[in-house]
Amino acid sequence: MTEATALKDLDDAAFEARYASDRFTASVLSNRMRYIVQHMCTGLLNNAFSLILRDWYDFAATISGPPEQNYPMASVSNSLAMFLGTMSEAVRNTIEEYGPENLRPGDVIICNDPYRAGNHVNDICFIRPVFHNDRLVSFVNLRAHQLDMGGVVPAGFSGTKRNVYENGLVIAPMLLYRDNKPVKSSFNLIFDNARFCELLLPDIKTIYQNLLLGEQLILESIDRYGVDAYLGALRYATDTSAESMSRAIAEIPDGVYEAEEGIDCDGIDDSIEYRIKLKITKVGDRMELDFSGTSPQARTSINAGILDTKTAVGVALKFLIDSESPFTSGTYRPIDIVIPAGTFISATPPDGAVFLYWESTGPVLLAVFRALEKALGRRAVGGDYGSLNIHNANGVLPDGTPWVTTAQCGGEHGPWGATEAGDADSYSVMYQANNLDPATEAIESEVPAVVLRKEYAIDSAGAGTNRGGAAVLKDTLYLTEAEHWSSPLHVKKASGIGVYGGKSGALGATWVFDPDYYNVPQKKELIPTSDEVYEGSTPVAGMLDPKTKAVDPNGEYFYFARNPVWHTKPHAVFRYLTNGGGGWGSPLDREPERVCRDVRDEYVSIEGAYEHYGVVIKGDPHNDPENLQIDYEATERRRAELRAQQPAAN
Amino acid sequence: MSAVGSTVPEGITVPREAVTEEELAELGVDLDRDFPGSTAADFRRYPVLSEGGWYLVVKHQKTLRCVSREPWRLLGPIELTSDGLDVE
Repeated sequence: MTEATALKDLDDAAFEARYASDRFTASVLSNRMRYIVQHMCTGLLNNAFSLILRDWYDFAATISGPPEQNYPMASVSNSLAMFLGTMSEAVRNTIEEYGPENLRPGDVIICNDPYRAGNHVNDICFIRPVFHNDRLVSFVNLRAHQLDMGGVVPAGFSGTKRNVYENGLVIAPMLLYRDNKPVKSSFNLIFDNARFCELLLPDIKTIYQNLLLGEQLILESIDRYGVDAYLGALRYATDTSAESMSRAIAEIPDGVYEAEEGIDCDGIDDSIEYRIKLKITKVGDRMELDFSGTSPQARTSINAGILDTKTAVGVALKFLIDSESPFTSGTYRPIDIVIPAGTFISATPPDGAVFLYWESTGPVLLAVFRALEKALGRRAVGGDYGSLNIHNANGVLPDGTPWVTTAQCGGEHGPWGATEAGDADSYSVMYQANNLDPATEAIESEVPAVVLRKEYAIDSAGAGTNRGGAAVLKDTLYLTEAEHWSSPLHVKKASGIGVYGGKSGALGATWVFDPDYYNVPQKKELIPTSDEVYEGSTPVAGMLDPKTKAVDPNGEYFYFARNPVWHTKPHAVFRYLTNGGGGWGSPLDREPERVCRDVRDEYVSIEGAYEHYGVVIKGDPHNDPENLQIDYEATERRRAELRAQQPAAN
Repeated sequence: MSAVGSTVPEGITVPREAVTEEELAELGVDLDRDFPGSTAADFRRYPVLSEGGWYLVVKHQKTLRCVSREPWRLLGPIELTSDGLDVE
């Protein structure tokens, strides 16, 4: 175990003995490794062809150490966090199975098996061994989403696939390049199974070039500082993360903390809810997280793999207690995860298909948030919108050209939860991701779709001293016939949980508007957002009033996969409404002026200000937003009334 | 709409094996010296996932101190469909 103060207390001789360099050189090399992975990512982002890499940033780069160090992941890029917790094991498991003794300069090894390497089959790990004077000293790695990897759903994003055979091509560890030349049989394996290969090929070539860049920069670093200093810096980088996490854990009161979270259902029917049970035991600077009691794996591809759960644990703890140090593999040194195989967050082949893994590990993260809420007190963080609500659609243009949209036109972006530091952002990706939002212009230039609305929903944010982010409402008009896979998997209960006395965010939902009911091009008007408009819609998912089909937390559950594939005519509109983010602190402590500003900006209505914040505001926020007036006396009376209604604990 | 009421199936648990005093002694543990007031019943053996992959640990449950921490199977409890395949 690393002592909490070991690194800063080491004298120069002890530091040199441990890391084969002086402290300054180790820091320079650690920073240089971060520069290298960022540089690789910039190269891929600027030169990728497919929308999922170019517009979503659905990739990450890492550097790992050699086998004799047990593959420490010393550097990670500032990109998709969901890839970072899996990558250290992905590199180790891939190389150990392939055999490090079989590697040579000029190789690239790939693996995409969720059970060996985490994530889903589209997320191929590209691993480049780095040799210095014939000695294997490191690996540079890119995990990058490929637009398609075969399987029954074009582009893959679906929660309805029943096993690994429907899910897509599984690639066990194998060579993609040898002696810096493509291995044709490996390319053929991919390209005989995947769709949209005209995009995959240049993407893979771009990935390869950025591996070469990473290798070159590492070798330049070694030439300058020496191989021993480089190898020492790999350990130093992970030791700093381990020490930082240990120190953060030590600050939490010792104890046992428990929580439950879950996911609405799978893609067979809605007869089963899947539940995570989490018990955190914390003693001193160590923490154990036990997931015993978690539901068995789902019957369709909403499952996550065991390494995805490991990522969610790491991201949750980085968010809550240790956000300053890099998310290297050292983060996990003071953490033990206890998890049985065969749950929906540790699925096994061939029946435990893994694709929408983040839908199941989002609740893992939320369970950690819930479990530690009381222990953290003011440092607790509210929940986010909880589901990517991912939308995957395809069709054919009049000239016969196939098109696909993936993660562009659903409810993929939404709000976060509030913190002690302030109100939450309303438009980001979920906590485990760190990606871009595809530009509307890019979507509309490539897909026969028009993004009609992308706006915040009033009164959807969890109220609090600091307000949660507002739910996002997004309308997309499809110009051709299309088939859609829609996956809103967290609509039964609020995911944007309120903390430290804050309120939870509102529930989201998804609807389809058939052109026979509401034809936007003919009417030349957007579909309204008032509740009356939903009666003629087709609900996809949500807790809805069975008659009006508007959101009603006490209504009936509409099951997302009762139509596994939604077929629509030209000019149909999909509407996604995400969940709202959780608030932090009592809303009755929010300054009336901040509530008034929210009313002006239409995050909160006048009625919502009265109901949830106890703030009485007069005026017309829509037509005269700058002349709203706060009635301070009435506010004081209303807040006294609300405080009197609160349980004693508040 | 929801056709049927949903249920939550019974969960799966990681068993924590009991450890004997003799096993602890073999691991070099002197209970009186190292864990005063504890008995062998306070220790359990089970797999964990941490930095560096999977380990089979023998751990004092009250303090989370490991008295044994050995590398376990590469993929932990996961069994691949191809496990056991002999192509020779």
